[in-house]
Amino acid sequence: MSGKAGYHGKILNIDLSSGKSETMAIPREDLDLFVGGQGLGMKILWDRLKKPGVDPLSPDNLLIFMPGPFSGFPVPSSSRTCVVTKSPITAPLKSDYPHASTVTYSNMGGFFGPEIRFAGYDGLVVTGKARVLSYIVIDDGKVEIREATKFKGMRTDAFDKAILAELGDRRFKTVYIGPAGENLVPYSSIIHTAGRAAGRGGAGCVMGSKNLKAIAVRGSGQPGVADHARFLAALEKARTALYGTAYAKSWAEQGTARAIVGNSNAGTEAVRNYREGTFPEADKIGGDAARRDVWVKDIACYCCPLACKKSGVTKGKYGGVVHDGPEYETGVMLGSNLMISDMPGLLKAITTLDDLGLDQISTGNVIGFLMEAYEKEMVDRKFLDGIDLKWGSVDATLAMIEKIAARDGVGRLAAKGVAALSRQIGQGSGKFAIQVKGLELAAHNIQANQPRGLSYATASRGACHMSGDNIPMQNRRAMLDSTGMCFFPTFEPALEEPMLALLSAITGREYDKAEFEKTGERIFNLEKMFNYREGFRREDDRLPDRFFEDAFTVGPKKGAVLDRTRFEAMLTRYYKDRGWDPETTKPGAAKLKELGLDLL
Amino acid sequence: MDTKESVPGERMNNFTRRDFLKGVGMGGGALVLFGEFGVHSAAWALSGEPVLKMVLVDYAKCTGCRTCETACSSRNRPASVGGKELPGLGNPRYANIRVHGFNPDVDVPVVCAMCADTPCVQACPVEPEPKTGRRALYRDPATRTIRNDVDRCLGCRSCAGACAAKRTGTITPNPETGKPERICTLCGGDPQCVKRCPFGAMSYSRSGVTGNSTASGLIK
Repeated sequence: MSGKAGYHGKILNIDLSSGKSETMAIPREDLDLFVGGQGLGMKILWDRLKKPGVDPLSPDNLLIFMPGPFSGFPVPSSSRTCVVTKSPITAPLKSDYPHASTVTYSNMGGFFGPEIRFAGYDGLVVTGKARVLSYIVIDDGKVEIREATKFKGMRTDAFDKAILAELGDRRFKTVYIGPAGENLVPYSSIIHTAGRAAGRGGAGCVMGSKNLKAIAVRGSGQPGVADHARFLAALEKARTALYGTAYAKSWAEQGTARAIVGNSNAGTEAVRNYREGTFPEADKIGGDAARRDVWVKDIACYCCPLACKKSGVTKGKYGGVVHDGPEYETGVMLGSNLMISDMPGLLKAITTLDDLGLDQISTGNVIGFLMEAYEKEMVDRKFLDGIDLKWGSVDATLAMIEKIAARDGVGRLAAKGVAALSRQIGQGSGKFAIQVKGLELAAHNIQANQPRGLSYATASRGACHMSGDNIPMQNRRAMLDSTGMCFFPTFEPALEEPMLALLSAITGREYDKAEFEKTGERIFNLEKMFNYREGFRREDDRLPDRFFEDAFTVGPKKGAVLDRTRFEAMLTRYYKDRGWDPETTKPGAAKLKELGLDLL
Repeated sequence: MDTKESVPGERMNNFTRRDFLKGVGMGGGALVLFGEFGVHSAAWALSGEPVLKMVLVDYAKCTGCRTCETACSSRNRPASVGGKELPGLGNPRYANIRVHGFNPDVDVPVVCAMCADTPCVQACPVEPEPKTGRRALYRDPATRTIRNDVDRCLGCRSCAGACAAKRTGTITPNPETGKPERICTLCGGDPQCVKRCPFGAMSYSRSGVTGNSTASGLIK
């Protein structure tokens, strides 16, 4: 035990190869400097993957589930779990190591992170590989590894019900993979509550490589706080900042789906494999349409007053229960990006992806790439195993999704992502293979949004829309994702002061805006050090040519395209402002010393 | 019972709530469809007891965020800090209310229903005190809540058994002592679950089948 307020001071380490588990103390200094979540997960990965080039799918890789210091306390919207591991999908253009890849972190809502803290841990670290498909049960201090072979190949919705039936108590919180993760599709997701996902960057693939189907956690404890009275007062203020506000109600009303129409109107949406930024039929798949025709229930994560998750029912050929969606990323990647405007069809695709355990963003991006290659006759129908992969075809999309999850036929290649696909297909298709460092871009298009291009180019896990459009944003978000709080309530300015007070009251370390941002900068730099050690350089912070060559032909931003010279100048300025070498992107000694990273 | 009226204020589209609940285990489904509190308020009417105030839930508004659990725990499990009693940190383990989440997404907050016929009290084997006529478990005459005299309680788990067999199983024995937990206190007349719900899904309302009550027992 570190004895530090706000923490248990220990992580649970589970080695699936030996079947042994043990608790390990977290150095107090690490809690101070790296906080939790994304930051502490990165520190653990850095400490324990001592050499570069570890095969992400080998037993040596770590699969780390991190709550943060807010987790387990009733702090509004503090539901997040950050899954940190070495990415199975990214790769540098050149490296001395065959398995070089970035760190990846995927942040999900729900109830899992808080439950880890109730069980008495500040994080879970899974290493090794189980002999047969297995699942882990953590019940307060008791840890058990059970065989899961009877669940092999089970889709996530059925599994969610089956595992809770087997455990006999719905208070267990579970995360699991679907067939895609078992089949080692590199962009597999980890699913929670059948409708929440740690989707980006392939954590589900790493979980599959460990022969781990699921983790179930239940607990009854809670860490203490440094200043109880201050905690209560700040909690009151945080609630007041959000409860009943127009801001909170707007999230409850449409969630992120509001942006499906909003971003289309702004010319910043991924449409037709990023060829356009505006989708004339956006209103058919947007929040208003979903509210009218689909949604039954607004759903919130642990202690969240926003309730941005929506579930509902669709009718007809593609009808069924919808656990979540459309939300912005899923609705755009499987909707406008594929020119699909049929709402039940779109939701069938979204539901199927969660059911199979595939990242919605990468899968939508891959199918968009193939649709464009098919339209341009770079691939034929035979290549696609007979699938008539035309823009807007729901049936073809569903067929391709199944192929990818099963790694069957064309799915074997498509499962590797657009970078691998374009290398195989050639014919200049790399121009519209929309990825950075091997990770596919998300649903924000950038011909008319250069700052978001910076986020995609420089984010530590590859093309990430959440990293931040400039240095202060990147630093703040790296820190936020280390606390356990969700990003969505933080647009409300009135939350900032009580949020900082809560963090200070819980941990006993005084956080103001500057300290919050500085801690995030340290975390972001450690991620960069990890990636640099693997061999990532400036040439890997490279956007696909489409964004510099294909100006939009429709919408309010018609004619918009990025200017390569301006973008490169922005990058150079970015590296200098970061204190990194603008040629190589190597973090400078002065910066590392300033951040306390020089001795690592 | 008409399911459309069992959940007040529900937004109905061109499908029924029953469609949505298909596949939900009977635990949650039955509670929502037949109205946990509908059953109990009917029992109150038959009992001839006076109308009482209790915590009612609008299932259509509940988002499953479990803020109510933390608010309940904070009030009913206070912390001693520097010799002063302060509200606790809201560990849901000590909440008297529990939100049961299901797949498909239905969330059912379950709280002591303050049953008119008190099967839990009936099951208490402790000899009634001559002066008050109370067993270890008894109904508080002022608040109408169920209370447990921990000094006289044997920890025999009979009350929890009766609640599980005859009602919702809200009363849970403490794993070590066997003494009942999770009995609603109404927080001294200011139920924190109602006060802290971000979605207005809970109300502290008079209950009983009189006047223009709905099937849920909520008198508007």
